[in-house]
Amino acid sequence: MRIGLIAMSGVRVRNAELAALGVTLPQFVSRGKVIASLPSLGLLTVAALTPDDCDVVYRELGEVRCDAPLEPFDLVGISSFTAQIDEAYALADRYRAAGVPVVLGGLHVSLMPDEAAAHADSIVLYGAEGAWPQLVADFQAGRLRPRYEGLRAGVFDSPHYAVPRFDLLAGREYNRVTVQTSRGCPLACEFCAASLRITSSYQQKPVEKVIAEIRAALAVRPAPFFELADDNTFVNRKWGREFLRAVTPLGIRWFTETDISIADDDALLDLLADSGCRQVLIGFESPDAHGLDGLDPRNWKKQRSARYLESIDRIQSRGITVNGCFIVGLDNHTPAVFEMVRDFVRQSGLLEVQVTVQTPFPNTPLYHRLRREGRLPEGRYWDRCTLFDVTYQPKRMSVEELESGLRWLFGELYNEREFLRRKRQYMEIVKARMQPGAPAVTKTW
Amino acid sequence: MTRSPHIEAEVRALISEIARQDASLIRSDEDLVERLGVDSLQGLQILAGVEKHFDVRLPDDDLVHLRTVGRIADRVQQLQHGGRS
Repeated sequence: MRIGLIAMSGVRVRNAELAALGVTLPQFVSRGKVIASLPSLGLLTVAALTPDDCDVVYRELGEVRCDAPLEPFDLVGISSFTAQIDEAYALADRYRAAGVPVVLGGLHVSLMPDEAAAHADSIVLYGAEGAWPQLVADFQAGRLRPRYEGLRAGVFDSPHYAVPRFDLLAGREYNRVTVQTSRGCPLACEFCAASLRITSSYQQKPVEKVIAEIRAALAVRPAPFFELADDNTFVNRKWGREFLRAVTPLGIRWFTETDISIADDDALLDLLADSGCRQVLIGFESPDAHGLDGLDPRNWKKQRSARYLESIDRIQSRGITVNGCFIVGLDNHTPAVFEMVRDFVRQSGLLEVQVTVQTPFPNTPLYHRLRREGRLPEGRYWDRCTLFDVTYQPKRMSVEELESGLRWLFGELYNEREFLRRKRQYMEIVKARMQPGAPAVTKTW
Repeated sequence: MTRSPHIEAEVRALISEIARQDASLIRSDEDLVERLGVDSLQGLQILAGVEKHFDVRLPDDDLVHLRTVGRIADRVQQLQHGGRS
């Protein structure tokens, strides 16, 4: 049996002015390319969970053309971001019309199961662990069910866990290879549409399994840059220190997402600096406490905001750069937020910055609140869930003010002059940590 | 101006440490990014180390264009002699 696993990989900004601007903004474009070129770890995991008697073909599809011939498969599995889900449905419809059964999975499908079910012979909710092997067995026995539910806890336990099929990436070009160490995040921000929505609690993969996956990826792709596909890697500090001690001897370079509290842990930061970690991505969301009010149930980010600058400095002084993420259009944001973000970035010494617009992904707490408040369009708007298109009525500014403010901020932050300024600022941080008069070869970061 | 072997050796040693590469394998004219796999962050750390060690300040343009041991050494030598080119 030949199974085709297809990842949709062509998310595009819909706003024409932003799309045009993106072409001219060096750092904005480079981050976009990185995101667009990540392999689908979810489907590599599905491939690993597939019985050995099946042939698995992994494909990435940037766009769906109605006239393109369909690759022949006995069963097709498709995964997609929300922004490209309509194209995924169109592809699924074409396969089904040709008599090929289709399974849909991924975050959007878990959030909108009934919608997805209309375009599939079967859907998989949550992760593939605990669902996919049974689905394949049922399909082979001719009794495929319309819906399977993966595990929401214990996803990394035997026998449900499998090392992703990194061998399927051989011969392809990628900027980064992804490895997951956890699912979920205890902060539970209102807007979040990430793995938090498919887990019942924070799921932590044992260190030895993470290391085994990294070794498996290294066997296929020598010296790749690794991206930990987590939403918040260092929630468990004991695990974090154990992981960092284990990954350091591998000599890899890597990137991950975490929260600002790592700045409180000197021992962790020292281990992080020595482990090959090049950058941590942290969601600051807003430069001021007022903007953060109500963003998460415990107002955790609001409480931390007074120490944002100090925390960034503590992390970057180790030579680890911080990619600071900001969301504009939060309910307490007025048009003043754009200058506030620019000024914060300049003051902070952040080497890299990512600015997105608040996006009410379907069935998130943010979506339901805005729906109740009558601030969402009547119909579906999934194709505009790109993180750069405005899809709702902001509370303290107009849609036009949010769109034009975002363009202005991009122009301010993503230009060669600002990029050089941030590089210079980072170099001064690195130099300040070096010992005066130390020989050049002394490692000080 | 003839390139100073001493400066070049120190630049090479610094790059070797940061990029975790054997110094003897780093050629003077080899592109650090394309041939040695130095990433953008390591590049900035190398240039920061150069500034600190040689007590010079590189022009901002150099943060983009200095990508070989030889060119870095030449620039350090020029700056130590009070000129840019």
